[in-house]
Amino acid sequence: MAFSSPVPAAERLPVTVLTGYLGAGKTTLLNRILTHEHGLKVAVIVNEFGEVGIDNQLVVDADEEIFEMNNGCICCTVRGDLIRIIGNLMKRRDRFDHLVIETTGLADPAPVIQTFFVDEDLRDELRLDAVVTLVDLKHVELHWDTEEVQEQLAFADVLVLNKADLVSDADRDAIERRVRAINPMARLLTSRNADVPIQELLGVGAFELERALSLDPDFLVGEHAHEHDDAVGSLALVEERPMDLEKLGRWLSDLVAERGPDLFRMKGIIQLQGEARRYVFQSVHMLLDGDFDRSWKVAEPRRTEFVIIGRDLDAEALRASFLACVA
Amino acid sequence: MPKPCEPASWPVWPELPVATSAPLVSERLCGDLQQPISALAWSADGEFLAIASAGGELLLLDFLAGCEELLRGDRDSSLDVVGFSSDGQFLMAAGQDGELLLWELGGTGVRPLAMDPIPLGGGWIDAAAWQPGGLLLAVATGRELRLWDGASRQWRQPPLELPGTIQALAWSADGVQLAASCHGELVLWQPCLSTPADPPLRNPMASAGLALAFSGPGHHLACGMLDRSLLVWPQGCHGQPWQFSGFPAKVRQLAWSEQPGRLAPLLASAAAEAVILWTQVKQGSKAWQPEPLVWHEKRVNALAFAPGSTLLASASSDGSVALWDGKGRMLQPLEGQGCGFNALAWRPDGRHLAAGDANGRWWLWPVAVPPRERQRQRAGAGFRSRA
Repeated sequence: MAFSSPVPAAERLPVTVLTGYLGAGKTTLLNRILTHEHGLKVAVIVNEFGEVGIDNQLVVDADEEIFEMNNGCICCTVRGDLIRIIGNLMKRRDRFDHLVIETTGLADPAPVIQTFFVDEDLRDELRLDAVVTLVDLKHVELHWDTEEVQEQLAFADVLVLNKADLVSDADRDAIERRVRAINPMARLLTSRNADVPIQELLGVGAFELERALSLDPDFLVGEHAHEHDDAVGSLALVEERPMDLEKLGRWLSDLVAERGPDLFRMKGIIQLQGEARRYVFQSVHMLLDGDFDRSWKVAEPRRTEFVIIGRDLDAEALRASFLACVA
Repeated sequence: MPKPCEPASWPVWPELPVATSAPLVSERLCGDLQQPISALAWSADGEFLAIASAGGELLLLDFLAGCEELLRGDRDSSLDVVGFSSDGQFLMAAGQDGELLLWELGGTGVRPLAMDPIPLGGGWIDAAAWQPGGLLLAVATGRELRLWDGASRQWRQPPLELPGTIQALAWSADGVQLAASCHGELVLWQPCLSTPADPPLRNPMASAGLALAFSGPGHHLACGMLDRSLLVWPQGCHGQPWQFSGFPAKVRQLAWSEQPGRLAPLLASAAAEAVILWTQVKQGSKAWQPEPLVWHEKRVNALAFAPGSTLLASASSDGSVALWDGKGRMLQPLEGQGCGFNALAWRPDGRHLAAGDANGRWWLWPVAVPPRERQRQRAGAGFRSRA
């Protein structure tokens, strides 16, 4: 299933999904977004147990109700009340420029993300800008092995390492390395008291295909030590030889059919045989999206870069099947 | 006591001969609110029209007195549902604030008396409906279905709990049955009859019911679903529903004609820009014949049959309202000011159509219903004739 919309991105309202474990600083960050002068009128959807202490007509509650559709297919699992509330809110679209959705600390980000691609109204009226995950540098190691923390790290486009003032530089570096092993594509920010420049969070365009991949250059160098196999981890695949689109397409659709629930996000820039343009690709669980992008520039290295973030990844098998797609 | 349903403040429109080329609509009235119109409702006697906006404005037009009153100004918080009790005693409105707003109406020319807003704590309210022929007001607050009794001015206890957020609710035309739907369940409740021995009937469903409508004659129930299907329960809501699938999008709008059909009355459904008119042609499994109504280019946001008639109006984000006959033929498109239409409501006389658009303009068109679309007989006209 492709997840692009026929409606041009510029006509759709940008949406930021804000995740983070309990106590990571989401409420502080939301209050900053709502009160700071940044020229954007932001509407916020909070969960009913939220604590945004601001009386603002653009802060709206939604039930975190999950709709499982198509017999529980994970890619069709969406947040039902979000559809209703956003439908109501969109009648007031001229009152705001950006929508932020806060999830509870224990929520899986995937259904929220998928809602924007699966629901016909939301897909055509909004565009997912980025998933922003707040990480509590002081306490994250206590909850590191919880499914929620791992998923929130894995799905992020922007990772805000918060409470930097409460840990030593060495501790912060260690956590940063662990975070990077799970998610090598997210942009990393460090903050105290959730004080981050708003322009680094809103208007990121992380789900725009042409910005599909911005890998940490260090990540591509050398192998990555996986923690243990059933944990959430990532794999970067780099190949200098051009690939075959047909083989690649078949591999990817087989892969998501078999492993979709364990594949959180994939992104790639593909060099294709006999093609002057880049092919760009991304996925969320079983939702796949790919298209031709601009031509390769003369100065840039022509090569395929592909990142998989998921649970229980078999690096050797994945690398072998990826290499089988070389033209 | 409610007045009989007769046009008092309007000239009697001449009965046009059957000629589809002649315009049905000759002149119009319009006015503006600050924010997009979100809901419209007529009082049962057709003397009042209430208009709500996405900015929380509520305008009351009093046709007999020829005046209008802004009951609430723009307060940057949406109202999404509005309605008159069937005896015309109360006006209700609710929306983003999660409060129930009530006014007591003293009749034409009398200023409505605002009651204290009732906070319900269930988040954004977008589904509420008065009982036809009664004084119960059903309000969906999150996962609870609550009933306010206009006779005692109290809430009935306890509320009915659903397993998910209520997406739609509807009363049967006789005011006996109340249906509510959420993801996974459709509940049928007879709140005036229910005793512990007579619990609400809970039907499991595979998806979420987004729109509910009871037919007047025949007492069928239709439920438009998120999974691009439509369920229709036969007469009396007994037995297995018919299921129609293959819609291009979620089925978000439904309307039944009040005119009795040979079997069921006509049913109209809207999914994205596609309007379909359904006719029951026989009993059994392949009983229904669809007639696609091709005109709209964008999402259809409202459907309404003229009272007692098979004349159908459809309002779309494409900026038009279309009028259709009972065979699915387009009679006339009504153009607005270029922005989408959000809401529609026929005056109970069936000769005036009100609409509201995304720029905050409300429209009122006189409509001469062609004689063949009019009700064959006045009897069995549903709840309005009983009021």
